[in-house]
Amino acid sequence: MAIPVRSSAADRTRPTVWDGVIVLLVAAAAAALLWTLRPAAGSAVMLRITLDGTVVGEYSMEEAQALSPLAIDAPWPVTLEAEQGRIRVAESSCPGRDCVHTGWIDAPGEQIICLPNKLIISLIGEHDASTEDFDVIAG
Amino acid sequence: MSRRSVPVLCLILLLSLSGCSPAGGEAVQEFFAMDTLMRVQLSGPKAEAAVQAAVAEVNRLDRLLSRTGEDSDVARINAHAGDGGEVTVSQETAVLLAQALEASAATGGAFDVTIAPVMDAWGFGTSEAELRVPAQDELSALLPLVDSGALHVDTTRNTARLDAPGAELDLGGIAKGYAADRLMALLAGYDVSSALLNLGSSTIAALGTRPDGGPWRIALRDPQNEDGQLLVLALSDQVLSTSGGYERFFEADGVVYHHILDPETGMPARSGLLSVTVVSDQGAGADALSTALYVMGPEQALDFWRTRDTFECILCLDDGTVLVTEGLEDAVTFKGDANGYTCEIVRR
Repeated sequence: MAIPVRSSAADRTRPTVWDGVIVLLVAAAAAALLWTLRPAAGSAVMLRITLDGTVVGEYSMEEAQALSPLAIDAPWPVTLEAEQGRIRVAESSCPGRDCVHTGWIDAPGEQIICLPNKLIISLIGEHDASTEDFDVIAG
Repeated sequence: MSRRSVPVLCLILLLSLSGCSPAGGEAVQEFFAMDTLMRVQLSGPKAEAAVQAAVAEVNRLDRLLSRTGEDSDVARINAHAGDGGEVTVSQETAVLLAQALEASAATGGAFDVTIAPVMDAWGFGTSEAELRVPAQDELSALLPLVDSGALHVDTTRNTARLDAPGAELDLGGIAKGYAADRLMALLAGYDVSSALLNLGSSTIAALGTRPDGGPWRIALRDPQNEDGQLLVLALSDQVLSTSGGYERFFEADGVVYHHILDPETGMPARSGLLSVTVVSDQGAGADALSTALYVMGPEQALDFWRTRDTFECILCLDDGTVLVTEGLEDAVTFKGDANGYTCEIVRR
């Protein structure tokens, strides 16, 4: 019958200085890993409102919800509604009202466009594009 | 593994996680032009200057080709419709109008830039008009104005003339594709070897390769589900143009009316197609053809494809069949089966 192999450390009863060094290094590495993988400060979803190329407002979703309904002074006035981390154009006096028909958006990278107003409602934040198998959607 | 190698491994992992950020020389800009939202992203040694030049070029073309621009070439041609006066235009407007006439002749009138009066009757002329169903009498009165034969273009003298009073040009079906052509040429002068030009979702130019060296990956929207995709196309140095009834439509009395109008009837084309995508190395041609093939319907569109070797296409039929012409077979990754679509490769 084979005799189980035992390391020399298994025979020791007291930790050595090297054990302490390794524990410290592993702890430091773990802390560094946590720090590296922490949610970035800017990863919280933000609402950005761009009117004809100019950013006219940027809010956290909590701020947007507190301000809801949020009126935008565009050529065709628009009203935004925010609730529970999502946002939509609730009312618009623009002709096609495509912006209203877009409905709710809730994920970073999503946008609502109002062409007559040259208005972009964007949700900004960490967007993991690496999981997508395309660069752009046509159509 | 020895105990001492554990922290070393952790440190190596950490270093690999922190990685290297992509090299500089990338630039992105979103902007409104040609009645849509565009997005230009590119990389190169003069990326920021290249992006600014691209935006300026699209805006310049918009000023030349917009029907609503105060002093655009197209607005001036329209203003002189029927008065016999020849309008002097820029050389590129003349060349583009000649291209539009060629596309009209080649497709038997399925693409026609003189359809503007009928588009206006529906409210599809601009994004600012109210959408409505015009009465048949109104359409019947306007249809004689839809006639590319009334447009005369001289590319030597750079003049254009519209013969019929009330006739109007709208280059919305070809201008974005032409802009793609112009941008591809312009960016080559900035040593841009990687660019994705999204000229309003319906026209996308893939210049060179992605920064990682692979082809650009362009997903094609499911016409019946905004969040779904039919397939992904791997393209490089090509322009893609898509036409679909879902892009702009309205509902009246329970009937859906979309913006792709048949020049013959003045009504939204109902040819059995949900969307048409054309891929070509020539943007203006791809743009015009995506509209024309939609109007033609699948059988005529494929017959037309078989007579040409300048483009490939993807036809999404209303029965759920997605027809892909053989030149795109290797470029397509089909995803529509999840939503009930089936894919067929069409041979010449």
